[in-house]
Amino acid sequence: MDVPLSWYLVVAAALFCIGLAGALSRRNAIAVLMGVELMLNAVNVNLLAFWRHVEVVKATLSGQAFAIIVITVAAAEAAVGLALAIALYRTRRTVDVEDVDLMKL
Amino acid sequence: MTETFFNLTWLIPLFPLAAFAIIVLWTNRHRLLSTWIAWIGIGLAWILGWIVFFQAWGGFEELTPPTHKYPVPLFSIPTGTTSLNLGFQVDTLTGVMLFMVPFVCLMIFIYSKGYMNYGTKDVDPRYSRFFAYISLFACGMLGLVVSDNFLTLFVFWEIMGLCSYLLIGFWFDKTYPDPKRITPKEAGLKAFLTTRVGDVIMLAGMLLLYSQVGSLTFSDVFSQETLEQLAHTYAWGNVPWATFIALLFFGGAVGKSAQFPLHVWLPDAMEGPTPVSALIHAATMVSAGVYLVARSFPLFVAVEGGSQLAVVAFIGAFTAIFSSTIAVAQNDIKRVLAYSTISQLGYMIAALGIGAYVAAVFHLITHAFFKALLFMGSGSVIHGVEHGHHHSHHHATGPEGHEEEGEFDANDMMNMGGLLRRMPVTGWTFIVGALALTGIFPWAGFWSKDEILADAWKTFQEGGHFGVTANWGFFVWLLLTIAAFLTAFYTGRQIFLTFAGKPRTAAAEHAPESVPSMTWPLVILAAFATLLGLAGTPWANQFFEMIGESAVILGERLAHGEFNLVIALVSSGVALAGWVVAWLIYGFRPLTVPVDPLRRPLGPIYTLLENKYYFDEIYQAGIVRPAIRLAQACYTFDDKVVIDPIVDGVGRFGRWLSDWLRRAVDNPIVDGAVNGVGRVTTWFGEFMRATQTGKVQNYLLVAAVTVFLLVALYVFRTYLPDWLSALGLG
Amino acid sequence: MEYLLTLITFTPLLGVLLVLLVPKDDERTIKNLGIGISFIPLVLATYLWFAYDKGQSGFQFEFIADWIPAINVNYHVGADGLSVPLMFLTALLTTLGLIYSSYTIKQRVKEFFLLFLLLEMGMLGVFMSLDLVLFYVFWEVGLVPMYLLIGIWGQPKDRPQYSAIKFFLYTLAGSVLMLLAILGLYFYHGTFDIVQLSQGLGSEGPLGLVFGGNSALAIAAFWAFFIAFAIKVPLWPFHTWLPDAHTAAPTAGSVILAGVLLKLGGFGMLRIALPIFPEQFKFYCWDVPIIPILALLSIVYGALVCMAQWDLKRLIAYSSVSHMGYYMLGVSAAAAGWGVSSYSDAAAMASNGAALQMFNHGIITGGLFFLVGVIYDRAHSRDLALMDAEGNPLRDKDNKVLPAFGGLGKMTPYYYGIFLVTAFASLGLPGLAGFWAEFFVFRGAFEIMPWFAAFGVLGIIFTAAYILWKIVQYLFLGDFNLERWKEVTHDAKLTDLMTFEKVTMWPLVLLMIGFGIYPTPLVDFFNSFAQKLFGG
Repeated sequence: MDVPLSWYLVVAAALFCIGLAGALSRRNAIAVLMGVELMLNAVNVNLLAFWRHVEVVKATLSGQAFAIIVITVAAAEAAVGLALAIALYRTRRTVDVEDVDLMKL
Repeated sequence: MTETFFNLTWLIPLFPLAAFAIIVLWTNRHRLLSTWIAWIGIGLAWILGWIVFFQAWGGFEELTPPTHKYPVPLFSIPTGTTSLNLGFQVDTLTGVMLFMVPFVCLMIFIYSKGYMNYGTKDVDPRYSRFFAYISLFACGMLGLVVSDNFLTLFVFWEIMGLCSYLLIGFWFDKTYPDPKRITPKEAGLKAFLTTRVGDVIMLAGMLLLYSQVGSLTFSDVFSQETLEQLAHTYAWGNVPWATFIALLFFGGAVGKSAQFPLHVWLPDAMEGPTPVSALIHAATMVSAGVYLVARSFPLFVAVEGGSQLAVVAFIGAFTAIFSSTIAVAQNDIKRVLAYSTISQLGYMIAALGIGAYVAAVFHLITHAFFKALLFMGSGSVIHGVEHGHHHSHHHATGPEGHEEEGEFDANDMMNMGGLLRRMPVTGWTFIVGALALTGIFPWAGFWSKDEILADAWKTFQEGGHFGVTANWGFFVWLLLTIAAFLTAFYTGRQIFLTFAGKPRTAAAEHAPESVPSMTWPLVILAAFATLLGLAGTPWANQFFEMIGESAVILGERLAHGEFNLVIALVSSGVALAGWVVAWLIYGFRPLTVPVDPLRRPLGPIYTLLENKYYFDEIYQAGIVRPAIRLAQACYTFDDKVVIDPIVDGVGRFGRWLSDWLRRAVDNPIVDGAVNGVGRVTTWFGEFMRATQTGKVQNYLLVAAVTVFLLVALYVFRTYLPDWLSALGLG
Repeated sequence: MEYLLTLITFTPLLGVLLVLLVPKDDERTIKNLGIGISFIPLVLATYLWFAYDKGQSGFQFEFIADWIPAINVNYHVGADGLSVPLMFLTALLTTLGLIYSSYTIKQRVKEFFLLFLLLEMGMLGVFMSLDLVLFYVFWEVGLVPMYLLIGIWGQPKDRPQYSAIKFFLYTLAGSVLMLLAILGLYFYHGTFDIVQLSQGLGSEGPLGLVFGGNSALAIAAFWAFFIAFAIKVPLWPFHTWLPDAHTAAPTAGSVILAGVLLKLGGFGMLRIALPIFPEQFKFYCWDVPIIPILALLSIVYGALVCMAQWDLKRLIAYSSVSHMGYYMLGVSAAAAGWGVSSYSDAAAMASNGAALQMFNHGIITGGLFFLVGVIYDRAHSRDLALMDAEGNPLRDKDNKVLPAFGGLGKMTPYYYGIFLVTAFASLGLPGLAGFWAEFFVFRGAFEIMPWFAAFGVLGIIFTAAYILWKIVQYLFLGDFNLERWKEVTHDAKLTDLMTFEKVTMWPLVLLMIGFGIYPTPLVDFFNSFAQKLFGG
């Protein structure tokens, strides 16, 4: 059976929007990180769906390759992000992103 | 042999010069040694000078042109393609000057030792320097007479001017309580500047002569062709060069010999020590002017009947009578002699002006002896009176009483009287000098003065030489005869006031006779003043033979007054009359109070004479003060009003211009543009910083919105036409 | 041999480098080194004096090398009768100035010695240059050290900064004109070489008429050179920088300023303005006699202004204006007689007199400034009279000016003696050096332009008046008043000349007397130069 491309895209778009909403609206830094992870996975879904349905790229393994790279980057990002959150918590006793605006002059 | 000595003439001025150098550089601290060095210097000059003189005397035929020069070339200075040659020479005029100058100088040098109080506690603090200066002075005069050209003559002439400045101002620290009275330092300055006026005129004449002739050596200038060329080329109009240059030379002589109108410096020069007065007024400096006219006499007579001789005669005769009138009303013993000197120099100049060359030179020689005698005699008197004053003062008030020290004037004849008894040697020698000066037979002055008067009379009678008109002869004779009367009168007055009667002050009462080093020169000079005239008596006029021989050839003809008994009697009678009048006024009833008996009867005339016709005041108001005011005006012009303000103004304008550029161009436009860029950037930055909240979710939102908008834009761009057409608008 | 001039000029530069290497606290070494180095050019210049062949009229010790070939600029140096005595004078005054300064300069010794040596190099370089660019470079090199000497070591009450900047800008203004004229000559004739220009120009010369016969350009270029040199001489009315600069400068600086820097202008007149532009020079001396009139004004007016001075140093500064007026009169007479065969000797004499005046003024006025320094070091005052607040002299009840000093002749006889010799040399007393210069200047002038000469001799009388009346009488004559001395000098000690002052003065005094009695050796030099210019 052949699931049409649009279904994948709808799922991925929904997933992305859920992740975006989480990243933008949650105040907990961990939650923001989880939102970002969701958005990355939405991208992965899209990558694989397009690989499967577009003939030109089907001959190569570029879809999988990109997905694996994204997963790797997401893992690294999660590690760095969590480390930052822990470091933040150690110094400021909080992981609320609203309280962290050191970048502002 | 003769030639050897003539060739050594150049050594004569060198001896005193060496003495000067040695004293100044090495023996300044040692008084006795300095004295001896000066004496040896002038002594050697005297010996060599007299050797040269007697050689010339014995063999003056050898000294007549064209072989009469014994030139010793000194060196030459290159002048373009030609060169200027300087050297020394001997001729008969040099010879007779060498008879007089070093000898009189020697007497003065010996006299100076006592006068400067050697060996007493009053010895002058600059004693050695005095001997150095007078040695240099002697060098100046000796160098002057042995020069073979006008340039070295001028050099030595000016060296004398320097020495007179230094010597007149020798006591430069002296001040007088009366501010009107001239101090030695001012007198020195006045002497130098006044003679400098004459010197500059002479320098101009010398340079013009040099331009015309191309040489300054006497033998070149006085050659027949040169003189004719000078007489027939014209400076301008119908004034020949010879006349013009001669008059300029005469300007130098007027300054140096203190002739009217440059006579003012000489009486004030009496502020110097008396030996200096004797040096300046008798032997050396003032006679240099007469010597110059005599030396350049060929130039004066180059133009037949030119105005130059008339000017010379007039100035001389006028000065003779003019200054003898002033002498009548002077009370300073040295100033009387000073005016007498001016008057006697006037005689010589007047004699030259009527062509009586030999008589003028003869009077120059005799006058030097008896005037040196008179000056040194007056110095001895002053010296005695000063000591007497000191002595009496000391006894009257004790050692601490010095309150009146400055008031007493030892030069004032009113403070003297009766000194013949106190100072017999000085007194008698002084009287001998006075007799010679007034021309009493048979003293020296009689012969020389009579010769001048005889020449003048002869000119009147027979017409003059060199185109001198007869009337000038009479004019000169008349003025000089009147002057002879006045000379006898003021000299008699001087004698009676000083030596006759009773002492009018305690100082005169206690005046001691001077030391032998002062009286011996007086005695020797008195002997010369008595006997020297015999060299020029009408019967055996060896002087004429010697000088005349050379002069005849120079000017072709020469006036020589034969002895004229009438004239001799007239002048003797006039002189005796002068003595008698003086005796009647001052000697018959000697003064007891210090007031001149002539003051009342003569009234304002006496005041006029006493103030020397107010010449000093006239010069002060007419020349000195305007010059100072002009100087001040120039300085104000220079520094405050025009030139420097212009320079500063340019500078200030530059600063103003740059300031204006800064304010009007640089600040608003150039700098404004640069600052404007910066200001815009700042403003934009301020605006933009509002977007930077520092909150990571804000940034994320912005990124998300941007992505959304971009995608929306893309979609919109791609599908808008389709949509529009779908809506039926395409 | 051809390196001799280069050596003389650049040894002071070596001195500069060596002095730079010495630490500035080691003043003893700096002084010894500076003086020692300055003896080298002096000895070499003395050697040059005797090695120079006066019988020959061209340039000697000539040396030429490429410098900037693209525009034909060469390092061309040489000496003739005009420059040899002036180089000697420069070296002598520098050495004496350094000896004197080593005892009197107390602050920034290193900088002083360094700048002084640099100044010497600039001055010597001008005298040896035979290339206009080289000349110009050295001309400007001398300017900066002098500016600093006046500005840094000047006495504060004399406004040293004002004086220094005035001196600098005034001279620079002239230099700019000169630079334009130099460039003009180059564009027309394609060379900067002074020898080629001065010998090759003229209707028969290989370079043709100056500026190709364009008289307007020639006149403009002549005046450009003339004004540049006239400022330096200084000629009335370009003289007002001089009293300020002389007064403010330290003693040795005044000596060099009067002794040598003024001569740079005079040297330029005779080296460049007259040989390259003889026709134009003659025109303004003879047909339209502007230059002799300015010279006369300098002489008489300068002397008169001296008579109105109460500051001794300023007085002597103004006397330079008057004395250099004699120089200018001599040059005018020489220029007016240029090219007239009957005047060739008179022109040569006038030129000799002018050159003599440069040399003699150098030693005499240099000496006078040293002597002013002597009294200033003791009394810290130079006013001849007691002054009120407005700078006018105070007078007593008889309206006589109250002298500030007076009577020093009695207290300091050695100083008095040396001062008298120098002062009389300055007023042109025969037997001392100054006379011969005046004599020959007036000798030439009386033949060529008698009326100007007749007015010029008036200056001699005024000169005697201000020197004897103002200087000698107010300083030395009269009675010494100890109270007044203490009041004027705030209890300073009065001593006669010290050894270093005697060492400084004696060479100058000996030269004054020596060349006063026997001027021939000196005149021989200048005559060989004049022969080349005016010879038959």
